[in-house]
Amino acid sequence: MVDMVRRYFSLWRCFFNNSLTRDLEFKANFLGGLIVDIIFYGIQFFFFSIIYSYVNALGDFTREDVMIFLVITFLADTFYMFFFSGNLFHLNKWMVSGDLDYSLLRPVESQFMVSFRYVKSYALVSIVILLIMLITLIIDYSKPIGILNMVTFAISFLMGTVLWYSVDFIISSSCFWFKNFSVSGWLSHEILKFSTRPDSIYTGILRKVLFSIIPMVLIASIPTRILLYGPNYHYLIGQLFMALTFLSLTRIIWKRGLLRYESASS
Amino acid sequence: MNSYLKKYFSVIRMTWIQALEYKANAIVGTFAIFSGLAIEFLIWKQVFQAQDLQEIRGFTFNGLMAYIFLCMIVGQLKSSWATSMEMIDSIRTGEMNKYLIRPISFFTYHFMMFIGHNSTFYIVYTTVLILFPIVLPGWAFPTILHVIGFIAALLISIYLSYSIYFCMVCFAFWFGEVRALVIAYNISNIVLSGQIIPLRLFPDSVRNIINLTPLQFLVDFPVSIATANLPINLWIPKMGMALFWCIIMTVTGRVIYRSGIRVYGGYGA
Repeated sequence: MVDMVRRYFSLWRCFFNNSLTRDLEFKANFLGGLIVDIIFYGIQFFFFSIIYSYVNALGDFTREDVMIFLVITFLADTFYMFFFSGNLFHLNKWMVSGDLDYSLLRPVESQFMVSFRYVKSYALVSIVILLIMLITLIIDYSKPIGILNMVTFAISFLMGTVLWYSVDFIISSSCFWFKNFSVSGWLSHEILKFSTRPDSIYTGILRKVLFSIIPMVLIASIPTRILLYGPNYHYLIGQLFMALTFLSLTRIIWKRGLLRYESASS
Repeated sequence: MNSYLKKYFSVIRMTWIQALEYKANAIVGTFAIFSGLAIEFLIWKQVFQAQDLQEIRGFTFNGLMAYIFLCMIVGQLKSSWATSMEMIDSIRTGEMNKYLIRPISFFTYHFMMFIGHNSTFYIVYTTVLILFPIVLPGWAFPTILHVIGFIAALLISIYLSYSIYFCMVCFAFWFGEVRALVIAYNISNIVLSGQIIPLRLFPDSVRNIINLTPLQFLVDFPVSIATANLPINLWIPKMGMALFWCIIMTVTGRVIYRSGIRVYGGYGA
């Protein structure tokens, strides 16, 4: 087991080195990606600054809470970009063109290959900037935030990332059934939009759905709550359960999907 | 003239047929509008309830929701960023050569393709817009004049938006890869054109800057007409301004294109 983890980790390191070399060849793209990220963050901050000019708090989330929530949302988005977006977004194209064959023929687990092969290395710069922003906001926060909050936040954040990956992977894998589902990326984006707003705005059935069937609030809202208001073991256990369930679902859907795959130009 | 129209109409027809094959676009697009509206509804409901507000800068809660709903539809109808990506690719890879040796305009051909590709959206959203005043009377389109004004402003918005994208696309002649520029513009214009928050709710300083740009005519202008938020006596002067921006952006696009085509290698970047 340990050997297998070590092998896959060293394989990912090779993927990273290769992607970094490729990304650095197109420096304008590298810079462009960073500029797009900065504009995206700026626009989100602007959106909430307008909302908070008319209200003091959205449920539990005050203006300073939402600033931290936004940075955590960006961090989750950037983590996702760094590890997965260069892969899952292209799954439909690989399946339609038959390029998926190359991933299936390698002596590694095919789901690992299609999930991790390309790393968006420029996201590393954004991750560093966002981490600095998060630490600054934590230091400046009106109440002290303890170490326990930070440790449980890190665990909750990782489970959120696993959930994000799983949901996107499930949507992308639907191309096995729809044959050509080129708008899967757009659909994922629209579903993931629910994770970019604080959970306190969701009520009734929608809230229940966003905690269970489509667990979007577990991606950024719950980690933010754990960081700001202290560890809540109900949330953590719930998140762990959902993360494991969705991860298992990705395995089932991937294996079932592969049985339907007809190779080149299917 | 007749052959000119025939030529470009066949481009629309061809892309229309392609678009109808992929109905998923329209389904996901409709989902995008309703999910976006649900989020906006919940946020603004909290704002109105928490402060016990009856209206914000002239918007009642229902009026605001009608406004945002129409904004999302207009925002999607005018957005030609996917076509822009194809145009950037064709310049970068040298595929553009095929347009140069044929009697077609790169600008008009892609404009017609953009209209053809969006045809499924036009069908779905026209149905939604027809149902809108029937299901929710009084929230939008109070008179037939408002419907006509909205259609005219929407057509201007679609053309203006495409012209702005075209100007950015043409920078690909010099820089090869300008996707980041288009994406950055796309992200900012979603908020700055009033697509998710009405321009009237922006701070005055920001609004004054936006009023100096064509962004106000992309979403806010057609929707303000539809929801009767813009007095009728201001329609003509505003349309004049919008048409003026259309001319400015068309001429700018042509100038950039003509300079760009001189440096175009045609062998791919």
